[in-house]
Amino acid sequence: MTKRMLLALLAMAGVAIAAYLTLYKTGAIGELACTVGSCETVNTSKWSMLAGMPVAAWGLAYYVLLLAVALAGVQERWSESLAVSRALLVLTVWGVLFSGWLTYLELFVIHAICVWCVTSAVLVTVMCVVSAIEYREQVAVHR
Amino acid sequence: MAKERKETGKSGKSAGSDRPKGSARATPVPAGKPPAAKPSKQNTQRFYGSLGLVALVGAVFIAYQMNRPKAGPTTIDPNTPLPKAEGYVVGNPAAPVQVIEFADFECPACANFVTITEPDVRKRLVETGQISLRFIDFPLPIHRNTWEASNAAACANEQGKFWEMHDAIFANQDRWSGVTTTRPKPELQRLAKEVGLDEGKWEDCYDEKKYNLNIVANQKEGERRLVSQTPTFIIGSKMLPGSLSYDTFKAYVDTALAAVKPAADSAQPASK
Repeated sequence: MTKRMLLALLAMAGVAIAAYLTLYKTGAIGELACTVGSCETVNTSKWSMLAGMPVAAWGLAYYVLLLAVALAGVQERWSESLAVSRALLVLTVWGVLFSGWLTYLELFVIHAICVWCVTSAVLVTVMCVVSAIEYREQVAVHR
Repeated sequence: MAKERKETGKSGKSAGSDRPKGSARATPVPAGKPPAAKPSKQNTQRFYGSLGLVALVGAVFIAYQMNRPKAGPTTIDPNTPLPKAEGYVVGNPAAPVQVIEFADFECPACANFVTITEPDVRKRLVETGQISLRFIDFPLPIHRNTWEASNAAACANEQGKFWEMHDAIFANQDRWSGVTTTRPKPELQRLAKEVGLDEGKWEDCYDEKKYNLNIVANQKEGERRLVSQTPTFIIGSKMLPGSLSYDTFKAYVDTALAAVKPAADSAQPASK
């Protein structure tokens, strides 16, 4: 399995988490399955909305985009494309920064931790590491 | 970018098809550089299978969460009364002046009143039967551990030791308050032991938050009376925000007593 395939799998897991949190935020799910931490405190705080949309919905859009780019990169015609590697790296670095900001809010502003948000932050960090390694390999190939 | 576009413009061909003509299947990278690993057909199939599996697990989980069976109805006693805002009284409940104090266990001004003024109030006004003092919780949202303290005191009340616990909680405010700790229970438990409570019973009550609704009722009573800060005292017809010195407190009690006496005197002949 290539690194881009791994990235696509992780992005799909991210899609599922973000979709779950978005459905909670829109009222389709009554309560969050949250055995550790205080998911509802975090997801009902004022920080759970950004520019009029739930942060979870932004996350869903982000993971769908990431999945699309990773899937494109898996296709034979783009399998050696440096642009795809660059896009994946930029997206995941952005994701790490954004997740870092959200985690900061959870720890120091809201004073509650949402286990789903932490899982998403871990996912995006792993994806960032994988895409950095993949980018380096692609650069080496194209040099 | 131009190179990239060149790569992508040749759909249907292999990824290596943008190599210069005449070098078909030749490696495009200098010697010593490994070419990018290309997945075999079997690998690709496995990948799409895994991707579908992840999507399926996610979809099943979400579908289950959306249709999770809700808790069924439970049977309760329909005559269960709603908790009333009663607070806790020291002194004769039928005393001529019944003072009410709205206070927050984590509020420093309340602790100031309890340690400096209240001993005199209890000895010289409560014990002499002139007033009763009713403590009503008014937990403020800015205080992180105040609900825990109200809960601890309510559980002490269950064992008839509210005032002992009340005094101990205020005297040790700096040891359990939200400024000091995020976990006040060990300190409150130590105080419960110190005032001689049955620790096991107290802990069960504390963990269960048994009197939470009573505390909510107390808080709502303060809101209903437009209490805006703690402590706030109601002495006779006056609502007094902020901590009070004994002399000021006594002056308001005297005024309230004076207002009560003529009313009692005029009521007496009528009852004869």
